[in-house]
Amino acid sequence: MTAAPLLDVQNLEKSYSIGRSGLFSKRSLKVLHDVSFSVAPGEVLGLVGESGSGKSTIGRAILRLIDSQSDVMRFGGQDLNSISPARMRILRKEMQIIFQDPYASLDPRKTIRAVLSEALDAHGLHQGAARGPRLIELVTLVGLDPSFLDRRPHEFSGGQRQRIGIARALAVEPSFIVCDEAVSALDVSIQAQVLNLLADLRAKTGVSLLFISHDLSVVRYISDRVMVLYLGRVMEVGPADRVHFSPKHPYTAALVSAEPSLHRENRRIRLTGEIPSPLALPSGCIFRSRCPYAQPACAETVPPLQTVGDQHQSACLRTDIL
Amino acid sequence: MMSARNFPKRMFLPSVLLAALIIIPFSAPLITAEDPIKIAVRYRLAAPDLQHWLGRDEFGRDRLARVLHGGQVSLTVAFVATTIACIIGTFFGLIGAYFRGPSEFITSRLSDIVLCFPPILLALLVVTLFGPGAGTLVAVLSVLYFPTFARITFSEALRVTSLDFVEASRALGTPSRRIVLGTILPNIAGPLSVQYSLTAAAAITIESGLSFLGLGVVPPAPSWGQMIRGARQFMNQDPLGIMIPCAALVLTIYAINFFCDRLRDTLDPKGASGSGMDEVSKPLALADAPAIKDPDVVAVINKLRLETARFGTSAAVIEDVSLTLRANQCTALVGESGSGKSLSSLALMGLLPGAIRQASGTLQLRRKTGEVVDLGFLDARTLEDIRGNDIAMIFQEPMTSLNPIHKISDQMIEAIQAHRPMSKSDARAHAVQLLKRVGMNDAEQRIDSYPDQMSGGMRQRVMIGMALSCEPRLLIADEPTTALDVTIQAEIIQLLQTLRQDQGTGLSLLFISHNLGVVADIADRVAVMYSGQIVEEGPADQILRDPHHPYTRALIESMPSSHEGLHSAGGDRLPAISGTPPLPSARPSGCTFRDRCPIAVHACAEIRPALYPSADGGRAVRCLRAPEAPAGLMNHQTEAA
Ligand SMILES: Nc1ncnc2c1ncn2[C@@H]1O[C@H](COP(=O)(O)OP(=O)(O)OP(=O)(O)O)[C@@H](O)[C@H]1O
Ligand code: SF4
Ligand code: SF4
Ligand SMILES: [Mg+2]
Repeated sequence: MTAAPLLDVQNLEKSYSIGRSGLFSKRSLKVLHDVSFSVAPGEVLGLVGESGSGKSTIGRAILRLIDSQSDVMRFGGQDLNSISPARMRILRKEMQIIFQDPYASLDPRKTIRAVLSEALDAHGLHQGAARGPRLIELVTLVGLDPSFLDRRPHEFSGGQRQRIGIARALAVEPSFIVCDEAVSALDVSIQAQVLNLLADLRAKTGVSLLFISHDLSVVRYISDRVMVLYLGRVMEVGPADRVHFSPKHPYTAALVSAEPSLHRENRRIRLTGEIPSPLALPSGCIFRSRCPYAQPACAETVPPLQTVGDQHQSACLRTDIL
Repeated sequence: MMSARNFPKRMFLPSVLLAALIIIPFSAPLITAEDPIKIAVRYRLAAPDLQHWLGRDEFGRDRLARVLHGGQVSLTVAFVATTIACIIGTFFGLIGAYFRGPSEFITSRLSDIVLCFPPILLALLVVTLFGPGAGTLVAVLSVLYFPTFARITFSEALRVTSLDFVEASRALGTPSRRIVLGTILPNIAGPLSVQYSLTAAAAITIESGLSFLGLGVVPPAPSWGQMIRGARQFMNQDPLGIMIPCAALVLTIYAINFFCDRLRDTLDPKGASGSGMDEVSKPLALADAPAIKDPDVVAVINKLRLETARFGTSAAVIEDVSLTLRANQCTALVGESGSGKSLSSLALMGLLPGAIRQASGTLQLRRKTGEVVDLGFLDARTLEDIRGNDIAMIFQEPMTSLNPIHKISDQMIEAIQAHRPMSKSDARAHAVQLLKRVGMNDAEQRIDSYPDQMSGGMRQRVMIGMALSCEPRLLIADEPTTALDVTIQAEIIQLLQTLRQDQGTGLSLLFISHNLGVVADIADRVAVMYSGQIVEEGPADQILRDPHHPYTRALIESMPSSHEGLHSAGGDRLPAISGTPPLPSARPSGCTFRDRCPIAVHACAEIRPALYPSADGGRAVRCLRAPEAPAGLMNHQTEAA
């Protein structure tokens, strides 16, 4: 990544306050610890991890849909930490999101025309006579029939709704899209169609993606680089094939081996124990309560991300094992 | 929401009734020319005659005119007050929910304070301070009712705001005002309109009450409360006088409540299909069930056909499904969403939803006693007994099957005692045993926790433990790992494998999944479903290694994990099949897969393929072009168009 990154995030942290322990003091729950990454123009960065690892929180923090703290958060040369709400609203044209649940992500009361028009209106795009052709262009782009424009979401299947969600994100021609489990709710045959569509769009428009998913094979296919998250910390980041086929972190290795596959022999790394509660994280390496290679030293220091190969980093003290 | 096109029939009667009750008072001049306040003491308490249909009151005023004009006043006060309350309340509720923070605090605290006052007391207080009159009444009622609207709006808006489509609007940069008015408000209109009607009815009652006490509408202006107040003194001489305003009051409130009830049912998606959501449709009693000789066979579904139960447009959701489940075997039912996996398994439990009915086919089970029963010939009690004793089921999301307000221990003990008479302490000991068997550490302590204190994986273990409590012969698992993380999923699959091996009686497992990888891990046999039919069936390794049906092939091919060499950046695309599965009501003629099939030929449109067995009988395929299909089927074959 020699080119200037499109998105640069350093030391992103996020805490939620939960309940009250005393009368005035709120307890807080830290769900992201010191997450740093960058996305180059045209790059697809995959984000994998189990539920509660903070994948969606990262996506929403970048889009400023939730508050967060970070040392650096720059997008296309603009500092998102100091940006005014008015400028942020304009910048939203460049950053979009596609959601997981094709049923919850469309307003049941709006026709597809209204959904897509809202996107265009928000940024004053394609007003007047240019509107009609643009809407047709958009639905065609995602492989739907223009006659669908005046229907409401309940008339569509999950796969078709997901395409509408994609069309909404593309309407404003963004340079960056967060795909939050965008294909997870789809059946395999439909999932393949939507993945191909995203791959085509990427080739055609050069859009960058932050592709969030818990499905490692999907992430490997679509992403250039993959970042593995566990309980809000980055465990490993590197080129997609490298992370998938020769993982350097014990957690990544366990994830890959736990993935059910038709084709691979089952050489499972069995993890024992449950994912710890975010309220009672282990000291040192947070993965140590389930790590088959844990040593006493792992309880003492939080392992830093170390370079283990070209563009490949892993946060494990024991570089000798994998 | 309800355009004229889909105005539901059930709303017709209440709407007409309500409209009539509102229109009639306001068309008073068309009905009677009498003046409601003109006094004619000479005719006091006169009986009804042709001029004065309802007679005259204690001041000789025409009662019909009074009840109609009184209705105008009562209804105007009630609806104006309700509308004001609704607008103010909705405004506060929306602001509180969308912007949270301090506005949320103000909204909820303000409403709390008002809600603390008993309504009548507050009304009395204000009226005493400001003097009676319609204006004061409207003000009092608005203040009384706006907090309820604020609350409902607040909680509903909070729910809608957390939905993805609102987030999407924010991400698009749509201004807040447009999001609140254009997206959130229409989506909470349903509950608000129900509340509106309820409040209007309550406002009419309070208005009448206050007028009755002399604190409402000022005489001589008529209002129903006024009329009751006046007629009360002459109740004995002239009962009609008090009956007329009371009847008007009761009728109006009844009409509004009737309207509310129907409105609520119509807007509630769960109530939409009318009565009978929890209804179970009974299995069909047919005498042609095949005899089961093999003692290993635990259950047989034979030529099952399920249809939607609605009259007129009945479509087959399941067509010609046959399945044999054996002891010590795991049969996987795979297929995409809506293909009919769940319905097939529910049929076997005798738990088909009321909207679905069994049109033909038989369902047989071998009970623990060895006796084979046909579900169609059993009464509801025996079916109940079979579920839980001979068959058990686990579901995708264990949280929905566990009661969040009871401890795990209580729920397990209850489940155990339901099927086996034993003391509470024995049942508890048994429950602990079960939890240990499903791999829960510190089972003795953790049994006393509540479901939400456990992780998803642990809850699924609890469900499996409960399912095993009666040592069933058949365990149906409907997507049991879909909601779990991969590492936890691997553990649960492992657990099911072990349990299968050490269950003495030879457990038969029907495993429903859309994930072929998981199926490859656990299944001995696989049945692939597409659009309500089994399209391929046979030993798992054969089917998954060498699928003969084009749909099975397409499923395997479209999984990214089947293509470890492909990468999107290199220009590679996944081999996807186009299109989507047809709806049950719109299946094509011939083969149901032909619209999407890459190797379809003309014959596929004409012949509906049967499930053709292979020569050795080990597997079967529903495809005209499969090696198993009989020769000569396609003698008029011409290559695909
Ligand atoms: N209560 C019902 N009323 C009407 N149709 C129904 C009902 N339940 C299911 N169906 C229809 O029956 C068909 C099969 O549904 P089923 O739930 O068995 O699918 P499934 O394979 O389990 O799907 P999923 O993977 O989404 O759980 C679908 O077309 C569905 O729309
Ligand atoms: S640092 Fe220790 S506990 Fe953490 S992953 Fe490495 S070996 Fe395991
Ligand atoms: S019968 Fe014809 S359309 Fe159906 S799966 Fe076989 S080849 Fe395809
Ligand atoms: Mg299902």
